[in-house]
Amino acid sequence: MTATLTAPAAAPPSPAGPRRRRRTLSPTLLAFVLVPLLVETFWVFWPAIQGVYLSFTSWDGVSPAVIVGFGNYAELFSDPTFGKAFLDTVLWLVLFGGLSALGGLGMAMLLLKDRRGVGFYRAALFTPVVFSLVATALIWQAIYQPDGLVNTVLGTLGLDSWQHSWLADANTALYAVIVPALWRQIGYVMVLYLAGLKGIDPTLYEAATVDGASRWQQFTKITLPQLSSVNSVVLSVIIIDSLRSFDVVWALTRGGPYHSSELLSTYMYSTAFQSLRLGYASAIAVVIFVLAFGVILTYLVRAFRDADA
Amino acid sequence: MTTTGFTRRSFLAGLGAVGAATALGGCVTSTGSSAGGGSATGPVTVQSNLSAPSAKQAMQALIDAFNKKGGSQASLNTVASETFRTQLPSYLTSSNPPDVMTWYAGSVARSYADKGLLLDVSDVWSGVTGYSDALKQISTDSGKQIFIPTSYYFWGLFYRKSNFAKWGVSEPTTWAEFLQACETIKSKGVTPIGLGADNSTPWVASGWFDYLNIRVNGATYHRELLAGKHSFADPQVHKVFDQWKTALPHFDPKGTALSFQDATTNLLQGRTGMMLIGTFLLDTTPKEDVDDIGFFRFPVIDPSVPLAEEAPTDGFFASSRTKRTQQTKDFLKYLTTVEAQEAYLKSSSGSSLPANPAAKDAGTALITKGKEMLNKAADLTQFFNRDSSDALQPTADAALIKFIQHPEQIDSILTDWQSAAKKIWAS
Repeated sequence: MTATLTAPAAAPPSPAGPRRRRRTLSPTLLAFVLVPLLVETFWVFWPAIQGVYLSFTSWDGVSPAVIVGFGNYAELFSDPTFGKAFLDTVLWLVLFGGLSALGGLGMAMLLLKDRRGVGFYRAALFTPVVFSLVATALIWQAIYQPDGLVNTVLGTLGLDSWQHSWLADANTALYAVIVPALWRQIGYVMVLYLAGLKGIDPTLYEAATVDGASRWQQFTKITLPQLSSVNSVVLSVIIIDSLRSFDVVWALTRGGPYHSSELLSTYMYSTAFQSLRLGYASAIAVVIFVLAFGVILTYLVRAFRDADA
Repeated sequence: MTTTGFTRRSFLAGLGAVGAATALGGCVTSTGSSAGGGSATGPVTVQSNLSAPSAKQAMQALIDAFNKKGGSQASLNTVASETFRTQLPSYLTSSNPPDVMTWYAGSVARSYADKGLLLDVSDVWSGVTGYSDALKQISTDSGKQIFIPTSYYFWGLFYRKSNFAKWGVSEPTTWAEFLQACETIKSKGVTPIGLGADNSTPWVASGWFDYLNIRVNGATYHRELLAGKHSFADPQVHKVFDQWKTALPHFDPKGTALSFQDATTNLLQGRTGMMLIGTFLLDTTPKEDVDDIGFFRFPVIDPSVPLAEEAPTDGFFASSRTKRTQQTKDFLKYLTTVEAQEAYLKSSSGSSLPANPAAKDAGTALITKGKEMLNKAADLTQFFNRDSSDALQPTADAALIKFIQHPEQIDSILTDWQSAAKKIWAS
């Protein structure tokens, strides 16, 4: 999904408009459109519609599903765990999204100029992206252990009172999980921004320097406006990645202790596959879908309208 | 370039056909009662969640021995236990299910039996000799046997004999003696009670709840509570936690940040004094340490409450949709034999007891002591999730971990637990 999203950022906009050539579609071409559509319909749209249907039922996966109307959605409002998961997801979106965008942009600016060894640093920052998040989580689990790296370092620095059971403490669990997720995401966002920064015409900066613009002015007046198309891609990627963040949380805390690091995605999973309340879990899934779709659609519509104007 | 019969178009058409076939499979929630697909021939398919290397090997040895007998044949498919657990409803409701599946006795098996998904194996049971009535009881649902137990194990407070000797601690039998032992261990600079209930194994804490509840309120109340007949906010449940509070200062403060494997290491290395756990602790204990491991029965709290013990029972059940009914029953029958159970125990780590009393167990002092404890028990419980359901387990995990970290919030913890549990019971 992300690959298709990054494509427009890397490729410069085509100078020629869409070609309009009147021609009847050959059956082969038609098949190439319709068959994938059919496959997509059966493998993606149909299950999605089933999911929405399930959200109006009570189903344990074994007995026949019972239609409960909006019962599941009504329950969402009075479910404190759902409320907690919702707020945690918002917090995650802000912290994980905001910090990875800022961090990614900062790193990209820092590593833009070709200097000796810059390739090494870029590669080092990008490496975590290559690891699977579950493997990443295993590494961080060891780091967060009561006798792990973090506490050992704190102990050596004489900060014994700061030592924590990071993942087991309800006050720190969520933040402790965000760090590994950021560790990975920053490298990814950095690459997106690097591509965008490379595309900026250097003469713009030269002209600005001649005009006596400060570094900050160059950044706000040239770099940021020039990056607007990359920004929309980064934003979409971040929102999608935030809302589907599941693996790292599940691998590190499973949403615990006592729901303190619960995200909508982990709550959906545990409701579906641990509590076997598939109807209620589907209602949570629909909420996640509406959130992701709503946020991204409004942003993309606005972004493309701006681009067209 | 050579041309093959396989073109891209036929590939896409094939994909489309596969998609169409799944769609024709119909609505995801349908549970048709007719069995379709599958053939009556071929080996009995055994779906196993015993994915630990030694257990997997032991299962394969068992299947090989069965196949060598020359009658019906069986084939093994091992799945990671977490996958198995989440997929079990799909296995059972699919039109072509595995014939035999590993599972445990208790209410989960019964709920599947009530939905008609499990094969009635009463005639396998009628040919079995020596199995105890208690085992038959937990394998029965509305008069029919639907489960074949093959092994069981026990829980207790495990410790290192050499350490207890060094600290001058003897096995306590009452709660007062138990707390006294904790004080003694603490005075030696060691954490008395280890716990390994982090986010990966939070269910370990349920062992404490189970045992305290069956010692304070009795096994009958415990089972009724888990079945939803009482409330977790009842004063009886409060009493359980009041009792727990008296021991809580002796718990390892890092207990909710460690997995049970790490907690086992702490126990073996003498950083903690004892740990309430099942015999599967021995599976991860190095061979040279096994003989130094001892256990004692969970201390008596109220002498008027009959002594019940936790004895989780493992075994197999079969799908009611199997096409190979006779072969499946042949295989299940084989599993109850002395030969099969001894073969399995020999290849595995030998930390469990065979369900067939004629079969020899590992014979170590610890296993013999455990067997005696269970034989004398007035009643046997399974374990929290087995006596209730896997769906209720996460509600207990949340409540118990919160209690261990914040015992002062017990009132709100119990009301939260009750409202979470209510949703599970209602669904």
